[in-house]
Amino acid sequence: MLKQDDPEWVLVTRTIARLRARIVAIVSGMVAGFGLFAATLWLVIKGGPNVGQNLGLLRAYYPGYSVTWGGSLLGLLYGALTGALLGWSVAGLYNFLARRRSDRP
Amino acid sequence: MASAVTSSPGTEERTVIVGAGPAGLTAALELGKLGKKGVVFEADDLVGGISRSVVFEGCRMDIGGHRFFTKVREVEALWHEILGEDLLVRQRMSRIFYRDSFFDYPLKPANALRGLGIFEAARVALSYLYAQLFPIADEATFDAWVSNRFGRRLFEIFFKTYTEKVWGMPCSEISAAWAAQRIKNLNLMTALKNAFLRNGTRSGEVVTSLIEQFHYPRLGPGMMWERCADLAASHGLKTHLRSRVVGVHHDGRRVISVDVEGSDGKTRHEASSSLISSMPIGHLVRAMDPPPPAPVLHAAKGLRYRDFLIVGLIVERAELFPDNWIYIHSPEVRVGRVQNFKNWSPEMVSDPSLSFIGLEYFANQGDDLWSLPDDELLKLGAAEAQTIGLFEADEVRTGLVVRSPKAYPVYDGDYETHLRVLRDWLDGFDNLYTVGRNGQHRYNNQDHSMLAGLFAARNVAGANLDLWSINEEQSFHEEVRPEEARGEKTRRGGVSDRQTPSRVEGSAAELLKDAFASYDEVALGGAVGITASLALAVATAVLLLGSNESFVPMLSLLGNYFFGYGVSWPGLAVGMAEAGVFGFGLGWVGAKLINHLIAAFERDLERRLATLTTLEALDGGDVEAR
Repeated sequence: MLKQDDPEWVLVTRTIARLRARIVAIVSGMVAGFGLFAATLWLVIKGGPNVGQNLGLLRAYYPGYSVTWGGSLLGLLYGALTGALLGWSVAGLYNFLARRRSDRP
Repeated sequence: MASAVTSSPGTEERTVIVGAGPAGLTAALELGKLGKKGVVFEADDLVGGISRSVVFEGCRMDIGGHRFFTKVREVEALWHEILGEDLLVRQRMSRIFYRDSFFDYPLKPANALRGLGIFEAARVALSYLYAQLFPIADEATFDAWVSNRFGRRLFEIFFKTYTEKVWGMPCSEISAAWAAQRIKNLNLMTALKNAFLRNGTRSGEVVTSLIEQFHYPRLGPGMMWERCADLAASHGLKTHLRSRVVGVHHDGRRVISVDVEGSDGKTRHEASSSLISSMPIGHLVRAMDPPPPAPVLHAAKGLRYRDFLIVGLIVERAELFPDNWIYIHSPEVRVGRVQNFKNWSPEMVSDPSLSFIGLEYFANQGDDLWSLPDDELLKLGAAEAQTIGLFEADEVRTGLVVRSPKAYPVYDGDYETHLRVLRDWLDGFDNLYTVGRNGQHRYNNQDHSMLAGLFAARNVAGANLDLWSINEEQSFHEEVRPEEARGEKTRRGGVSDRQTPSRVEGSAAELLKDAFASYDEVALGGAVGITASLALAVATAVLLLGSNESFVPMLSLLGNYFFGYGVSWPGLAVGMAEAGVFGFGLGWVGAKLINHLIAAFERDLERRLATLTTLEALDGGDVEAR
């Protein structure tokens, strides 16, 4: 059993965490994808005049995207890709910077 | 069976090789080079085993399509030694046909996306995400193994139907070992990375790859084995065709002789100082005299095989399709794969105005497909080719059917147990070596079978090489990594990856490190800051460079938080700096909060540890943590 003054325990408490880039990318991709999907769908279901006139502006970044049933699926894909890219980027950069910092003398 | 028996000549050292396929003939050639005597007995009337070439109406047909590709340098050198200039370098093109669409194979993302459509692609992506988050815990079967790596939907499209055609059983009954061996370390992310970084690595180092090229004999694979048999004969090891080994006599420790049945039905007795057998391992065991114990016989009967038949059609059209072969995943037709032999080598057809097509069907001996008369199979082949849209049935001039029993050893749930029993019993013989796909009941490619043949011959000459390690340590995968191309060992210590997945075992400290490691605040701040800064830069630049200005007012609202920011080039520079600082702060605070929570858990654990240590001291013995 590990004790508080064991070198291994000291090592445990001083270890710097690493992010699993793939997991972070998947989670942030899912959050962003389903977020945009739900936001789009909510406006479509709510209906009314000029449905999603603001959210629809995202087509400037996402070609083909619109606040419609089909657009919600496309938004899911785009949101997931964007979220995954951002998540992967944060995790990758973090691991790189943390490694560089821990390698310093 | 006729009973005439002829006596064997003398008692000199002479190895009997059973089977003139790649393993048997390679062994024969190697024995000849080592100055050993021997003889090859082949039951068929052609050499090459399932790598033979059948000649029909002046055209040549490969029984299945055999690319000559290997990572084993010795085998590659041998191919060149045997065929020299007759070993051509051919371009590979292969596709998958599924539900009226052709997909490039190996898969290319853009092509696959076009073929699947946006909705199916979204379904594939979601299914992959689901598999990553909730993988199937028990990976014992093929469907679980592949679904965990590619997602269920991709498994259903690109693996399920074809695999079930090939093996004739549900993927849920196929052992994961087969997938682990054939697909190796590939998963969806690796596949996509390979597709995007074709022939390159992130570090820019060139990966030697023969995915797009392969070697092929000018007149088909049979040419390799016809010439290999001639070379072995020139060393004194003759191949006897239509000679089936029906009995193997032994004294419990060594094989002494074999009974060989000729085409005339007569059986002759041949002395054997060593035996290299590529006959199905179960048949070998059952041919042993005296017979093995009942459990060994039971295991021999338990091994299963998949049989194969090919419908060869000569079509009156010069060009049909550009592929060497097409995988037919569509469940509407029974054909599993279509070969265009002319695209393997132009000399496979006698007349350039014709094409020679092979439609491959996977069957079990005695089933409805296997039992169909040849003329019915020819009609079925022509009709299914028309259904797929390859050519019209009335363009077929003539055709033939070739049946190839026991083409594939089946990896079912019991095969490992049965094989272990057989191996343990056969290991008791000093001078018996099993080689080849059926000899070892292993889904070897040609190169692995040849390596087994080489090893067996060297063992006859006194070496002590492990034939069963081949294809466990030698990789099948088509890509050659740079370090492997240079002959260096990989970081795993061998020249290739292991055959089956293995779990990394960590110490308690490693696991605790994972659980209690704290986050580097500066690193997380930096990562979020850089990402936020770049994201804002990209978002702004897209609007500045594009023609769609509708989103400009929306993005400009960020100016409420980032002073001086606007959708302009100077605004971009200001926004980047401020988003960077903001992101850094966000990441730094986030890491601080996480670390505080971890520290709280850590203090709690330390308190528990202190209590346990005190109790241990009071008790004077071990206290188990609960």
